Amino acid sequence: MGKAVAIIGTGQTKHGRRSDVCYPDLVKEAVSAALMDAGITLKDIDGVVLGTMPSMMEGVSSTHFYFAEAMGAVGKPVMKVETCGSTGQSIGHCGFFWVASGMADIVLVVGSEKMSEGDGQATMTTVFDPFFQRTFAAGAPGVFTMQSMEWMYRFKIPEEKGREAAAMISVSNHDNAMDNPYAHIRTRVTMDDVKNARVITYPVRLLDVCPASDGACAVVFASERTAKKICKKPAWIKGLGFRGEEFFYGESDKAIWMSATEAAKEAYQQAGIRNPMKQLDVAELYNPFTYQEMIFYECFGFCPRGEAPDYVLKGAFKKGGQLPCCPSGGTLCTNPIGATGLIRLAEAALQVTGKAGARQVEGAKLALSHAMGGVDQFNAVTILGSKL
Amino acid sequence: MSKEEYRIVKGQVMVPYELALGRTWSEFYDYLKEEKIMGKKCGKCSRVLVPPRSFCPRCFEDMDEWVEVSQEGVVETWVYVNMPFFAQEIKIPFISAQIRLDGSDTGFIHQVAGIDLSDFDSVRETVKLGGRVKAVWSKEKKGNILDIAYFEPVK
Amino acid sequence: MRRVAITHVAQSSGAESRESLMDFTYQINREILDKAGLKREDVGCIIAGSADIFHSGLSCANAFDWDGIGAFLKEGSRAEESAMSFIYGCMRILSGHYDTVLVTALVKGSENPDNDPITSFYGDPFYLRPVGINESVVAAMQMRQYMERYKVTEEQCAKVAVKNLANALFNPYADRKRRVSLKDVMSSERVYDPLKALECAPKSDGVVSVLLASESRAKKLTKKPVWFAGYGCSMDHFNPGDRDLLNGQLKTAAAAAYKMAGVRDPKKKIDVAEVCEPYAFQELLWCEQLGFCGEGGGGKLIDSGATQMDGALPVNPSGGVLATNPYPARGLYRIAEAALQIKGEAGEHQVGKKVKTALAHSTHGFGGQCHSVVILSA
Repeated sequence: MGKAVAIIGTGQTKHGRRSDVCYPDLVKEAVSAALMDAGITLKDIDGVVLGTMPSMMEGVSSTHFYFAEAMGAVGKPVMKVETCGSTGQSIGHCGFFWVASGMADIVLVVGSEKMSEGDGQATMTTVFDPFFQRTFAAGAPGVFTMQSMEWMYRFKIPEEKGREAAAMISVSNHDNAMDNPYAHIRTRVTMDDVKNARVITYPVRLLDVCPASDGACAVVFASERTAKKICKKPAWIKGLGFRGEEFFYGESDKAIWMSATEAAKEAYQQAGIRNPMKQLDVAELYNPFTYQEMIFYECFGFCPRGEAPDYVLKGAFKKGGQLPCCPSGGTLCTNPIGATGLIRLAEAALQVTGKAGARQVEGAKLALSHAMGGVDQFNAVTILGSKL
Repeated sequence: MSKEEYRIVKGQVMVPYELALGRTWSEFYDYLKEEKIMGKKCGKCSRVLVPPRSFCPRCFEDMDEWVEVSQEGVVETWVYVNMPFFAQEIKIPFISAQIRLDGSDTGFIHQVAGIDLSDFDSVRETVKLGGRVKAVWSKEKKGNILDIAYFEPVK
Repeated sequence: MRRVAITHVAQSSGAESRESLMDFTYQINREILDKAGLKREDVGCIIAGSADIFHSGLSCANAFDWDGIGAFLKEGSRAEESAMSFIYGCMRILSGHYDTVLVTALVKGSENPDNDPITSFYGDPFYLRPVGINESVVAAMQMRQYMERYKVTEEQCAKVAVKNLANALFNPYADRKRRVSLKDVMSSERVYDPLKALECAPKSDGVVSVLLASESRAKKLTKKPVWFAGYGCSMDHFNPGDRDLLNGQLKTAAAAAYKMAGVRDPKKKIDVAEVCEPYAFQELLWCEQLGFCGEGGGGKLIDSGATQMDGALPVNPSGGVLATNPYPARGLYRIAEAALQIKGEAGEHQVGKKVKTALAHSTHGFGGQCHSVVILSA
């Protein structure tokens, strides 16, 4: 269906607290890296897609103006696409459709965030409506904790078992981040460290939660013809899906989470994936919270509902396991929100092209990347492959 | 100049809004003043939505039928919030909860209170998933969501 | 390349609505689906056009938009400016992945602060914002340069407001409905001299939807499909001081759109134009850059009467943005109005001549930092 599109280059900043650069310079750092990786210059770019978090987070509204030069967009068409936390994947999807439409040959996609400059949780709170739910909102941790509690209760997962599995996820993500030179948090943690960390929103503790990072990511999309001509190892887009649920929290079932399930189903169908656990070689999930990562495993069909903790405890998703998840250290160790979903896509592209360095999953050919946004409202999935 | 010497500018942005509730939500708040919690029922899928909507997001059809739902319900999930952030309206610690009111088909977000919140272990003995809670009304009604002061556990 | 058509259009009035934004949106999307005889389930993909917190009081506008646009568990996305949303919708169909896409732009300008404080947040926090720069300030500086460099008079600029507000009287969806004379405009308050109050766009509510379809679906859905023929967009430098305010990126955007649509002589080929003119003089400047007249010829163009509703090249028969300004949605309003002109369904503000090719333009940012041009054809 439609024209083939490939990723021919990716670039990331060193993520973390980046008060050494102003915001546009941070964006420029990622753009330059992506152009260099693709072996092209700004002249080759037909259009630019930008996405960040909303103005509340940025402190500047409509950042496509502010970043005009930094993202190399002067004199070029621009798309500003934003879907909250899923922005990083949504801008990737826009890059795909722009090239697939035939209206552009090479498109540069840029996602960025400077979390250290604004108040992330206050921003999340304003995603809630001012009429009913904002009063009781407790930022992202509050919502994700409610969801995790509902999930454990529904599938009768004993609290200790959930705790143990979540702690293992934290340990393995932190271990993985040690292999990723771009990651924000690069320290090893032990099971005891996680289980004894400060409670944020019970049972979620500090090491179950992602950091607030500064960072940017850029990805270059190209048509089949151009990709074959100028890129030795393109990453091909095999399938993509985006789904959203109702706005009000509590209206749909977050333990089953239809948007995550359906977004993956759509992407699998396009990519011809019937058995994700078997066919996928690696997955980069948007996992700002350890418990939530387990819900994603179930929604994406990696394991039956309610059994994610068992699979985690068996090591199925660790490095060297049946389906390594988040070899980059994931969102849990690096979360510049507007860039995060695009970083997942870039990491998946690095994996299927064998360019992931120390975090490379040996022989990865098919990868899943993902992002989640809103108040548990949106999910986006993109499947990348090494073969057309 | 070393990195640490680069400057930071501090700023704050305040923007005022006047947001329309429209007919359905205005009526919901009018009902709250009468100490009634009202939902709307979809003529197509028969779900009762609280807060009410003028249309069903799934069927995309108008919803005309008001239905009073119970002031009691089941806690579907809850969170003990002990994390302060900018412009938080309720003082920490507080409990946000998703409550399925009897007679409705959606979770209603509100707070559980009326119990000692200072000791987390004792809170966990009182507030439970699947446990029942009931609405406690504010004496003075201001036409907002805190006209229901909170939900308290049913003993 | 596949073809894309606009099959149906629905729009709200620009006047203040007392509905919640969610209900306000739902009503228009319900209307367009009913017009097309479709159900929510029948639409392949839904794209929103809306801006976040400063335009709605809500962060991540798509979250709140989602129910009203009818996107529950549907493929979809959101662009921040509505001409971009439209193009994104076209891309989705051109890619071959979708046969129908609903594009909906929405805002309630009546609920958020004035345009000036909102656009001041475009400014960076270090240089532009502390010195009071906003869209109106830059527009006024642009206008002064324009009058000085090309000897265009203040009266010629004011005539745009007279023309567009007169047109708006025939548009049932227009927000500012008031017949004004040249004297009224000239004597209205000098809010940002030389800009006067009646030369600045108001702040409006607005929900507008267009249904897009592939060629085969479009022919089944309507007898009068309006074809998407050309598109161009171009971004300028951020700092207004880094550019020539009278020679921005509109020419680049227009050239791309004309090339794609095979338009060689826009003056002859374009039958009607809906141009985004939040400030009266900008219609003249944009008309020059769209090639409707020569450089500096904007003043003579309005004097000639060519851009009047019954002129050779009517501009803004709907009354334009000076009459109705639902900021992030105004680009899609221009596109919807251009489509209605081609369909011959613009009602009382249908232009006198037969419309085969129409141009819609959208701009936002200081002094027109970003321009989009869309060409539609019968």
